[in-house]
Amino acid sequence: MTLKQSLKIGVASLFMAVAVLQPGQAQVPGVTRDSIKIGSFGALTGPGYLYGKLPMNGIEVVFDQVNAAGGINGRKLELVREDDRCDPAAAIGGVKKLIHEDKVFAIIGGGCSNATFAARETLIEAKTPVIIMASVHDGITTPVSPTIFSVALTSTIESQAQLQFALDQGAKRIAVISMRDAWGRARYTPLIEAFQKKGIKPVLDEEMAPDANDATAQVLRLKAANADAVLILLYPKPAAIFMRDAQKLGFKPLAIGQSGIADPAAFEDQVGSPGATASFRTISMVRYTPEDPAVDSWRKAIEAKFPGDRLSVFNLFGIGSAEVMVEGLKRAGPDLTQEKLVAALNSLKDFQTAVYPGGITCVEADHRCNKNPAWIAKEPGKPVRVLGITKVE
Amino acid sequence: MVLLTYLLLSGLTTGSLYALIALGIVVVNKATAVINFAHGELFMFSGFVAWMLHVQWGVPYLPSLLAAVAFGFLLGAMTDLIAFRPLKNANIISLVLATIGIAFMLRGLARVVWGGKGDYLPFPPITSPEPLMIGDIMVIPQQLAVLAGAIVIMVLFAAFFRLTRAGKMMQATADNAKAATLTGMRVDRIYMLSFGTGAAIAGAAAALMAPLTLLYPDMGFAFFIKGFAAAVLGGLTSLPGAVLGGILIGVIEALAGGYLHSSFIEVSAFIVIMFVLVVRPTGLLGFTGVRRV
Repeated sequence: MTLKQSLKIGVASLFMAVAVLQPGQAQVPGVTRDSIKIGSFGALTGPGYLYGKLPMNGIEVVFDQVNAAGGINGRKLELVREDDRCDPAAAIGGVKKLIHEDKVFAIIGGGCSNATFAARETLIEAKTPVIIMASVHDGITTPVSPTIFSVALTSTIESQAQLQFALDQGAKRIAVISMRDAWGRARYTPLIEAFQKKGIKPVLDEEMAPDANDATAQVLRLKAANADAVLILLYPKPAAIFMRDAQKLGFKPLAIGQSGIADPAAFEDQVGSPGATASFRTISMVRYTPEDPAVDSWRKAIEAKFPGDRLSVFNLFGIGSAEVMVEGLKRAGPDLTQEKLVAALNSLKDFQTAVYPGGITCVEADHRCNKNPAWIAKEPGKPVRVLGITKVE
Repeated sequence: MVLLTYLLLSGLTTGSLYALIALGIVVVNKATAVINFAHGELFMFSGFVAWMLHVQWGVPYLPSLLAAVAFGFLLGAMTDLIAFRPLKNANIISLVLATIGIAFMLRGLARVVWGGKGDYLPFPPITSPEPLMIGDIMVIPQQLAVLAGAIVIMVLFAAFFRLTRAGKMMQATADNAKAATLTGMRVDRIYMLSFGTGAAIAGAAAALMAPLTLLYPDMGFAFFIKGFAAAVLGGLTSLPGAVLGGILIGVIEALAGGYLHSSFIEVSAFIVIMFVLVVRPTGLLGFTGVRRV
């Protein structure tokens, strides 16, 4: 080998070594010079697809817009989807696949609470930054994990907001009707704590089974207690039975739901008794209904990318969470690392999105970044409308 | 007093529906000595048939109810043909498993046909949903209509069972199937008639119940449990016992929910059942199979 050849090989080796070692991004999972791979998990099939597939569709239209504008620091966003079917085991498996096989940089996901809660430990171990898009279970964000952020309302925040809304509406005799299964208790316990913090007691505290077919006894007791507002911690089906029986028995309190009954129009149909839901109010994670002209551009984007789909409130969940991720990625800068993304998300303070009712604020001690439920209602024969926003401290 | 009146009316209404479900269970059990675990799904399916006719196709309520009864009868007869007749000489576990299989099949079919149209389907009220005031007492026309309908069905069934030839043959087969065979009765047909009649009563109960609650494909088991509890309370071999058991459970649930707490609604009836069965294992009106010779 001549000196010239040796020099050529030496220079080539040096370049190769630089190519391998120099760009830190090569060692960062899911990041190349021109792309960032973001994972998502949630139900793509089965009835839970509302909380999985539809938000993911929303994420994709945000990513398309960002990519059309040149990406983030020259990198295009790429979404990888995993179907957890709302099943805890499938969620754990899906998250492992995203992290270890697809090697995603970060995740926006989490539809059904039970599945997301089951995947929490896997997410914490992998230290992959995560933004929860729809799951409300408190256990996902509490105790705080350094890498898990949520832009979904949690059940505690919703319960506090329910009580606050009742008080803001001037209710003096507030009662509770709840299910006492795991879902119901996750809301009931913080609600009772919220009552205690305010120094008040519910005038009546009633129970209803998830498969109950009659609520006459509960309605009669609430009516006898002269409750002027009822905080409803029920699934849509028992809540619909309750509203029907309340109407039958002439009991018309302010009925205050939560995001388990997120669509007042569908709820009105389910109750199926004209006028029975006239005084029903419920929580929405976003400040617009799908019919609102303010979300026309999103409607067009969804309908163009997913022909046959109509804009849904669940699409908006995905749009909001994707906007937060995009902002985090921008703030993390061109030399992208997962640690920088986590730091960037922790720096979000009153960040305004196109859909959430209030600003998104994340701090290291509290990753429940959305604490601003919107209140929506539907009067008979009229469209769903947004009544206002409650800020939960 | 006013609260008691409301609760009693509500309890009687719900209880009369439990009684109808229990009647169907007892009719089949008396004839075949088998508990039909698909009974709740036969009830559910008939309810959806009534919904489809009345809500989707605009058929008036009464013909929809009659169609649900007829459809229930057909489904019951098919249950006999598929799950009972081929296995009637097999052990009881095989028979029970066969009816459970029918239950799952019907539930799956209902999910395919009626699932995905919203989580729960409402059935419009058959009377005004607004309460009526009679003096100080509030009366709910919807509940009165359902209660009256349930009483009519019970009376019709009693007349059928006691006065018609088919009803008498069902009684004879229930008393002694071998003797009935020896007298020339085609016992297989009687079994089919029993399954059909039981399911027809469930169909009537479903069409009556639908305006009071919501329909969903998984609703059958919850109602079956209540009907079964009513049948056990009354005595699994007694038709009047089934009616008594159903009404008692409905009234106990309503009174416990109204006067104690709503958390007692689901458990109160079962506490009473446990107590009754300790004191009287055959149920309130049941009897053991002792024969005079």
